Amino acid sequence: MSDRPTVLVPIRVLDGESIPEGTPALLAKAHVVLLGYHEVPDQTAPGQARMQFEERANQRLDEFERMLEDAGATVETRLVFTHEGQTTIDRMIAEYDCLAVLVPNATSEPEDVLVAVRGTVGTGRLVRVVAGLFADSDVGVTLYHVADEGETDEDAETLLDGIAASLVEAGIEADAIDTRVAHEERAQDAIVDTAAGFDAVVMGESDPTLATFVFGMPAEQVADRFLGPVLVVQREKVDADEDSTTD
Amino acid sequence: MTNEDAAARGTGANVDGEMPEAEPEAVTAEATIHDGDTELERTIGLVGGLAIGIGTMIGAGIFVFPGIAAGDAGPAAALSFVIGGVIALLVALPASELATAMPRSGGGYYFVSRSMGTGYGAIVGLGLWLGLVFASAFYLVGLGNYATAVLGEVGIGLSINPVVPLGIFFAVVLTGLSVAGTENTAKIQNVVVAVLLVILTLFLTYGTLNAFGVFGRATAPETFFPRGYFPVLGTAALVFTSYLGFAQVATVAGDIKQPGRNLPLAMVGSVLVVTVFYVVTIFVATSAFSATELEGFGQTAMVEVAREFVGLPGAVAILIAGLLATFSSANASILSASRTVYALSRDALLPRKASEINLRYGTPHVALLAAGGPIVLLVAMNQVEVLAEVASFLHLVMYGLICAAVIVLRRRDPSWYEPSYRMPGAPALPAIGAVASFGLIAFMDPVSMGIGVGIMVVSFVWYRYYAGTVELKGDF
Repeated sequence: MSDRPTVLVPIRVLDGESIPEGTPALLAKAHVVLLGYHEVPDQTAPGQARMQFEERANQRLDEFERMLEDAGATVETRLVFTHEGQTTIDRMIAEYDCLAVLVPNATSEPEDVLVAVRGTVGTGRLVRVVAGLFADSDVGVTLYHVADEGETDEDAETLLDGIAASLVEAGIEADAIDTRVAHEERAQDAIVDTAAGFDAVVMGESDPTLATFVFGMPAEQVADRFLGPVLVVQREKVDADEDSTTD
Repeated sequence: MTNEDAAARGTGANVDGEMPEAEPEAVTAEATIHDGDTELERTIGLVGGLAIGIGTMIGAGIFVFPGIAAGDAGPAAALSFVIGGVIALLVALPASELATAMPRSGGGYYFVSRSMGTGYGAIVGLGLWLGLVFASAFYLVGLGNYATAVLGEVGIGLSINPVVPLGIFFAVVLTGLSVAGTENTAKIQNVVVAVLLVILTLFLTYGTLNAFGVFGRATAPETFFPRGYFPVLGTAALVFTSYLGFAQVATVAGDIKQPGRNLPLAMVGSVLVVTVFYVVTIFVATSAFSATELEGFGQTAMVEVAREFVGLPGAVAILIAGLLATFSSANASILSASRTVYALSRDALLPRKASEINLRYGTPHVALLAAGGPIVLLVAMNQVEVLAEVASFLHLVMYGLICAAVIVLRRRDPSWYEPSYRMPGAPALPAIGAVASFGLIAFMDPVSMGIGVGIMVVSFVWYRYYAGTVELKGDF
């Protein structure tokens, strides 16, 4: 295993989605799992779609693979016909143990990246993604934390400084790192507002709650409103998954 | 769980020069993997599989047949349903074994063509497609009856009998929805089946308690065999249409997650569940009314039974349930028929064009119309018993051959045959299943038998003409 962070890039390959501008540069140091998928309605057998569209889908995927490789990434591609895109994406995350998933949106050459930090949980993986992608580059990293009620500035500073130290240890220049703490009611709004001045956002996946089932995952909502690429760092998957008790 | 078959394909070509598609390289719990690393995701779990099986079956046995069956065999119709259930179970076991060895779209057609050769496969495959078309038309006539009863209930009188026009209307609506609809039909099916099971459980529990006199009006039981023993078997042949759904689970085998576990559970489980519901339904119905009265009520007899118990609310609940059940049965059958057309066209037994996908909706419009078109014609015939029997006939031929396929494969034991579920009692049980399946056909109406045999002959002639050199037997 190299120290390249594994990033899943899911593309609806036949619905006109492509690798947006800026993405190859953003992922130049990643090991990209390029997932081309095509969702078919329940009435259609996935195999039926394969017979008709496999060739075209593969052509497009090859094209995308070359774009990413030309920028420096290592790439594995998968093509999946499915009834449920999310099931397929989740399976790929598990199979490749992906550190992050890219919600692809266009961006310019990345210069400044906003890293939203929620708390101490999962910071190890966050550091691996940020350091893996942006060490030894000119990209500026801004660590951003929206403080909870009752959380003091000192607490927040301590959290961010700890992460900054880990990033430096992992190869990011100390003067490329900036930290910011905000106090606002809704973390999501704060992140979206702040993100406007950045080229990409790195944030954690949140725990699914009832609200996420109704309104979607915060990371997706941020991606929808930010209009730039969002790297969603995945939680560590517990191995004892009830569903995978076969064999 | 991984079957590491070398990628192989059937040989030969059809009249249009199309060859059978290559077989997949591997089958895992979550996906089917084809040459060139293309994967087909499996997205239907155990609940979804059970919903397909139960949802397809429960419409007919409870909401269409009780009146007809009780009229033919009296209270002994319950026995007819038991016989049907036992035969279905005798087929569900070998079908489960085959499905775990070959979890691909096409179900019974796929098993038979790979184990017994293209000729048998073509008869079963084209027969399955048309069998599902007949079954769907039968459910739609039932739906027409329920919709008519609803109109009657709200007091709309019509000068003509609206059953057939309504059936045709729903056939067109269903076909249109399946071509142009992109909503999540599988999820809707699960909800419909759950609602149905709740309504039926409440209703049948009340009816059973009532029959035993718990509510103080014990009914006089009539003779169990008012028409003798023979009609019990004839009725079993007729009502076997209520057991056609479990094999539909196998037609979507390619979409089932963890097929080695979920396919047998979904097929055997759905047969057991509906058998219990059917037998209790007949018991309740015949305890409330005499066979002659039930016969008089016709297809919507259960509405009258519910009205007898709890008045108008009961009648309304069963009317709604009847609409839902027949609608979901018809819908599931159209989708299965379309899957079968796809499986045949994948193997070059039908033109490749038949499984073409519509670019606008992403749906297989040709295959869906190949199901919906003939269904409209058949609904117009309005011959409920013939529709039911022809559907059963064509399925029973397939079931018999499924049983035979297990015996053949167990004896030949080819290297690719590695079922993760092995049925007990082979070869005796599958042999009994085959004899019972073919035997049930003998009790059918001559007209139904004639139509069934005609379809088999035409299927074979089509295969010899169109795809005579195609060889699908699983020597891979």
